[in-house]
Amino acid sequence: MIDLDRLIAEANELAPLPASTVRLAGLVANPDCHLDDVAELIAFDQALTVKLLRAANSAASASAAPVGTAKEAVFRLGAAQVLALTVACGARPFLQSRVAAYGLDEGALWRHSVAAAVAAETAPNFCEVEAPPETFTAALLHDVGKLVMGRFLSPEILGFIQRAQEVDHLGQLEAESLLLNVHHGELGGLVAQHWQLPPRIVKGIIYHHTPELALDVICDFTCLANQVAKRIEAGLDGRRFELAVEPGVMERLGLTQSKLDNLCPIAASRYVQVSRRYNAV
Amino acid sequence: MNTADFDYIRHYVREQAAIVLEPGKEYLVESRMQTLVRKENIASIEELVSKLRSDPKSGLHRKVVDAMTTNETSFFRDIHPFEALKKQIVPDLMARRAKDRQLTVWCGASSTGQEPYTVLMVLAEHFPELLKWDFKFIATDLCTDVLVRAKAGRFSQLEINRGLPATLLVKYFTRQGAEWEFREDLRRRVTFQELNLVKAWPVLPPLDIVFLRNVLIYFDMETKKAILGKIRRLLRPGGCLLLGGAETTFNVDDAYERVACDKTTCYRVKQP
Repeated sequence: MIDLDRLIAEANELAPLPASTVRLAGLVANPDCHLDDVAELIAFDQALTVKLLRAANSAASASAAPVGTAKEAVFRLGAAQVLALTVACGARPFLQSRVAAYGLDEGALWRHSVAAAVAAETAPNFCEVEAPPETFTAALLHDVGKLVMGRFLSPEILGFIQRAQEVDHLGQLEAESLLLNVHHGELGGLVAQHWQLPPRIVKGIIYHHTPELALDVICDFTCLANQVAKRIEAGLDGRRFELAVEPGVMERLGLTQSKLDNLCPIAASRYVQVSRRYNAV
Repeated sequence: MNTADFDYIRHYVREQAAIVLEPGKEYLVESRMQTLVRKENIASIEELVSKLRSDPKSGLHRKVVDAMTTNETSFFRDIHPFEALKKQIVPDLMARRAKDRQLTVWCGASSTGQEPYTVLMVLAEHFPELLKWDFKFIATDLCTDVLVRAKAGRFSQLEINRGLPATLLVKYFTRQGAEWEFREDLRRRVTFQELNLVKAWPVLPPLDIVFLRNVLIYFDMETKKAILGKIRRLLRPGGCLLLGGAETTFNVDDAYERVACDKTTCYRVKQP
């Protein structure tokens, strides 16, 4: 079976995010964050500036006049979006990988991550509570733990997980916890800590399947974003997917069933548009 | 794994720890035994069972039981019992015990220590004067390996991430390499000892607060009755038992009464 220490070590051995991304994450997590400070930090990183400009001028913003400076890009996108795009830029090489153990072909995890980020960006318009600025990034990275877990899930272990699901009617997360003493959300949290991302992003990732344990709105939004992302992907593939958002999440976010029904198609159409922005970084 | 080996292990675990493993749980036994055989450098589960059969007194038996014990735990697990402790249970008991200034807490399945240390943090945060009383804290578990870990009070980042607020991490833990160590002065307040709930118990003092959460679910009705009966005889008047969210004394031992405490339920022995 899996040696937990090896799993933890693996999570801590992923290549670090660029220093500017870590600094930006710290800045955006600060409630007193000012867009001028964000723009200044971005401007120091030429490669990142180019990518952000590309993202800011992508199809999602095509109707607006093109932007030419880091400051304009930051003011157009907002600090939260800039952070998500910057983290996406650093994490994309990882998230593009194939994760066979979870049935994810090359690029599938990235697409799901972007769909979740877009869903997180769209969802607050339908909710009664405000999303913290770290939400898009938490949604983008919510499944990053699968990258680590996936490397250790041998066919034998996958067989045990499947049996646990069949015999004891456990979900994927519960089966992982029972058999491996850790689940992919927790491993994702370790990766985010290793990447020195702010605690709230870490929390959003750890509890994206179990937000009732954290009682932090970022976990509710991340949980919702994951579900909506699955619905978006199913829609694009012509599959049916029954949304299963916990009543507690809906209640805490002030999201009614009719609002949720409206959110999904809007998030899906935004995904087609906004995903180009993420794919531009 | 073959049926005979599965039956041998499940019967042994049932006999030693009253853990019920119905047919269908082969996947769980096999996955846990795979870990054990690798650790012990044994070629296969078949060989492990063969060793167990040939030497009934080998230390391996103990390791099999330990491997099959679920040690799921976290800081502030389910949160509400700790809120109840802070808002209702401890203030009430401190008022009742103000004369003799004696209070004893027992965590009956303390695993790697997260639950007893959570209780201690709640007490140190909100009732520091209680720690100056004749205050005893006993934490027990069936598994000796986890007791050693609990006593050391060292936790990985993964364990810390499970429920511990950052403010308490800073206040009560110090970083030791990749791990976090619980404050020594508080750690020393806990007496960790081995106790198998389904065998004869060592002598325990009269108890005021008992945490026995998410343990009874693994036992059959007779075992639950026996354990609840023993606790009942140890609880002082007004003493309080806290069970897991899916557990109850109702229809198991009706000498207890349910008491609503904040957003959780605790159990007290009915007074005549």
